Amino acid sequence: MLANRVSKRLLVGLQPVFKTPHVLPSSYLSAQNARKFSISSKCYQEQSPEPSDGESSASKKKDEGSRYYVPSSQKRKPLSRVTIGSSTDNARFRRASDTIEFSSWKAGILFVTLGTGLYFFFRYQKEKMDLQRNEESNRGYGKPLIGGPFNLIDQDGNPFSSDNLLNKFSLVYFGFTHCPDICPDELDKMSACLDILKSKYNIDIQPIFITCDPARDSPEILKEYLYEFHKDIIGLTGPYEDIKNICKAYRVYFSTPPDLKPGQDYLVDHSIYFYLMDKDGEFIDALGRNYTEETMAEHIKNHVDAFVSKEIREKRKQGWFSFLY
Amino acid sequence: MGILAWSSKPEENKDSLPLRSNRKICWESRDGFNKCLDKIEVINPLDPANKKIIEKNCSAEDKRFQQDCATSWVKYFKEKRIVDIKKAKIQKEIDENRATQLPFTIG
Repeated sequence: MLANRVSKRLLVGLQPVFKTPHVLPSSYLSAQNARKFSISSKCYQEQSPEPSDGESSASKKKDEGSRYYVPSSQKRKPLSRVTIGSSTDNARFRRASDTIEFSSWKAGILFVTLGTGLYFFFRYQKEKMDLQRNEESNRGYGKPLIGGPFNLIDQDGNPFSSDNLLNKFSLVYFGFTHCPDICPDELDKMSACLDILKSKYNIDIQPIFITCDPARDSPEILKEYLYEFHKDIIGLTGPYEDIKNICKAYRVYFSTPPDLKPGQDYLVDHSIYFYLMDKDGEFIDALGRNYTEETMAEHIKNHVDAFVSKEIREKRKQGWFSFLY
Repeated sequence: MGILAWSSKPEENKDSLPLRSNRKICWESRDGFNKCLDKIEVINPLDPANKKIIEKNCSAEDKRFQQDCATSWVKYFKEKRIVDIKKAKIQKEIDENRATQLPFTIG
């Protein structure tokens, strides 16, 4: 009922504006026109002496309706929008009051649930978008910043190239088998993380270990070494020059001590990062020692969820909404 | 013994795989050695000034350490001990002074 009253009052207030002859029924129109002309003639007597035809005076009147002087004795009643003689007088307004009223508790609940839902939805979308933007900057423009083509040998002696990184996410780690404590710890973390990803999120990641010590790490040694950590880890080795190139491409620092005697025992100094590569074989993030197996799995999962293939990304850039990305 | 074998005799490379079991033996010997150094309050085992006191108190542990770990590992772990102790000391100072911890770890 409240809505009914409000809308009626609103109608009354807006009356002069609503007087658009072409939407009103003909009977109403004729009555209106008669009144209109009578008022307008009065008006022209006061304001502008020159007469004009009916059409233009009607349009002018519409603009300045409120400024007309109407004697109090002639003040018209508020106009109803209901056609004269129609029996279904207030049917329209009554129907409107059946729907949700603005002050009702139903509206309150609707507002709260919709608001909360939208809040979480947009927050999730924003997080995803931020991650994608971050990935995009890591991928770099033009030539990739990290990663690149390579040709190495896996632990079974089969060739393994950068093409094997395509169509799956890979986690790449550089190290050497004679590493005293950090590499084994990191590889244990890696295998735990792989298990979490698999069991909790059903995500398969291709784990890759690339040796920085090709002189000592033959495919056989790699096989023996890596099997103790996780059966899925692929160990890569190759000629010294190839290893040097891939380390350069992945911005991995490594150094073997100079002037080594053959058979002499030594350590290799190297950077300790996991490199997460996307399905296009492109670098998206580096994970350091500050991650635990759980946080690392969580982080990788977020990246996998937010991943958008290169093809779609390029299409988006050319699309209408490119400014969003 | 396995790792020691290849470090001194290259021709025995084949049976000296870097296996988990070998690492475990080495780490245990290292921990034993470090514990002994803690007892005699020696921080730097590589300092020649400490050589005598180590020989006097921890010679057995030192010998086991050398035996179970590759030469390069022994050197690495001894150097690492110094760094670790320094790090722990700094961390303790931070905690005591209630300094604000940065959102990442150093080193």
